[in-house]
Amino acid sequence: MRKLRPVARYAQVPAMQWFTFSPQDFSYAFLSVLLEGIPFILLGTLLSGLIDEFLPSKTMTRFLPRNVFFGICVSGAMGVIFPMCECGIVPVIRRLIAKGLPVSNAVAYMLAAPVVNPIVAVSTYAAFRGQGAAEFTAIRLGLAFFVAVLAGLAVHHLPLGAVLKPGILAGPDADAGPAPHRGLGARLAGAMDVGVKDFLDVAVYFVPGVAVSSLFSTAVNHEVILPLALNDWLAVASMMGFAGLLSLCSTSDAFIAATFVAFPGAAKLAFLVFGPMMDLKLLFIYNAVFTKRFVLGLAAGLFVLIGLLCVRLSVLGL
Amino acid sequence: MNVATTRFFKSGTLLVWGAVLSYFYFSGRVADYLHPAFHPGLLLSGVALLALGVAVFFTRGKEPCGCCHHHPELPVREAVSFLVLTIPMVAAALISPGGFGSVAVMNRGLIENISGLPSFSPPVEPPLPQQDGSIGGEVMMDPSPYLAKNEKGQILAETVDLLYAASEPTLRGDFENKAVEILGQFLPARTGNPHGDRFNLVQMFVMCCAADARPVAVAVQSRDAFPEMTWLKVTGKVTFPLVAGKHTALIVADSVQKTEPPAESIIY
Repeated sequence: MRKLRPVARYAQVPAMQWFTFSPQDFSYAFLSVLLEGIPFILLGTLLSGLIDEFLPSKTMTRFLPRNVFFGICVSGAMGVIFPMCECGIVPVIRRLIAKGLPVSNAVAYMLAAPVVNPIVAVSTYAAFRGQGAAEFTAIRLGLAFFVAVLAGLAVHHLPLGAVLKPGILAGPDADAGPAPHRGLGARLAGAMDVGVKDFLDVAVYFVPGVAVSSLFSTAVNHEVILPLALNDWLAVASMMGFAGLLSLCSTSDAFIAATFVAFPGAAKLAFLVFGPMMDLKLLFIYNAVFTKRFVLGLAAGLFVLIGLLCVRLSVLGL
Repeated sequence: MNVATTRFFKSGTLLVWGAVLSYFYFSGRVADYLHPAFHPGLLLSGVALLALGVAVFFTRGKEPCGCCHHHPELPVREAVSFLVLTIPMVAAALISPGGFGSVAVMNRGLIENISGLPSFSPPVEPPLPQQDGSIGGEVMMDPSPYLAKNEKGQILAETVDLLYAASEPTLRGDFENKAVEILGQFLPARTGNPHGDRFNLVQMFVMCCAADARPVAVAVQSRDAFPEMTWLKVTGKVTFPLVAGKHTALIVADSVQKTEPPAESIIY
């Protein structure tokens, strides 16, 4: 395992101030992420409204393999057909769970879909051109799928009360029996009601999450993490931490990761797998569906699992 | 009463967000924040949020069912949600300057070498010579006649062009000792400036939105000084001196003038 790398030019950097807050910079970054993220959340929540109104209960489970393991694997790969970004996917899985999709499958889909999809595959390939792009892309998508499936299997063994917030599983109309026949207009209005509710529920977590990540992305000097590139363990851990703080969109994060030239490939891989699954804004957004304890456990579990796997993968010369 | 109040807050939030998104699109401010690929989505979302806000306002909400179980949509909760969602966004829209200041730029670190640029990939190896000694495959034409120029014949360059040129001999030939006009923001050169006769000219390079912006800088040889992040128009001659064994772009300035920010202040 490589332990040391030449970082002489970083050693010459004078002592820096690691935290400098500017309200203008903060508001600029904050607003730009809001403007970028809101359309995706809106799309996700409008979709969740349509799912709630038009998707009959238990439909999803009929299409999934009965075997738990294969069912979770299929859910983890569903992003290939139904790609969703990490901001928009939470309201969608919330409604899918209410419609009878097992929570373990929903978690596997939620964690994998922002990475295991064609858009991210293309962007990762483009970002790492000349740096083993095909291999790196395959490893990124494969590792994300593997981790999402493991997380889904772990969730399968947890009691639902420990995972979901009260009321999520049942859904508002779960006990209402067969819905009376209604016209299309009424059903669309119902979908709008649900979509708006989901949008506001998710947005109320999204805004504080974006605020915290904008604070870190503008006020913290990025050079403070560069000395951590000296050691594989520290490099992997720090890049995951950095991904969590920056809260980048999974479609563009590869372009940022590729520029961390001082860091080994394993650390960039950790950045690209961990970030779309768990970052500051997601830490807040997941609270719309899951219990706080589960979200914190998921964050810690993903950090340790992805970290260990990436350090192990560093033997491949990444 | 509760239903009407809840509807008011929901509708108000949607209308405020829709108005902000629409304003950013129609005022053109969106160009300072997002890659053009995201502009249509912003417009659609703004219009959709306004429409939803109006629809929610005029749609009769569900009446209280009279039962005893928990109803999460309480007016107080909706009021807090309304404040959390609208005040930060409106405040940010009012104070956000449409560009990063020197604090964020320095915290992100200047990109002074093309290998540090997001989306950069090393050039492919050139084809081997054919039997007659000519270069096979695609023949690189001299692009200099086609580079955009101003009325004085100076090449209209961007910082990224010069960083690319510094890394590649063919491109270097297109710019070396040629006159260029380039826009960017002033930052003092804190390193590599032993004689105090250089500053950095910075442009922000964006992949998706300003949150992922990276400052791309070229050195300008001039003793002029301005407040940090002042927009400048620099004209001068491009050189590529060797620094620590690598070619680095340096503009020897003939003229450095303050200028208005361009319509698109970020590069993609």
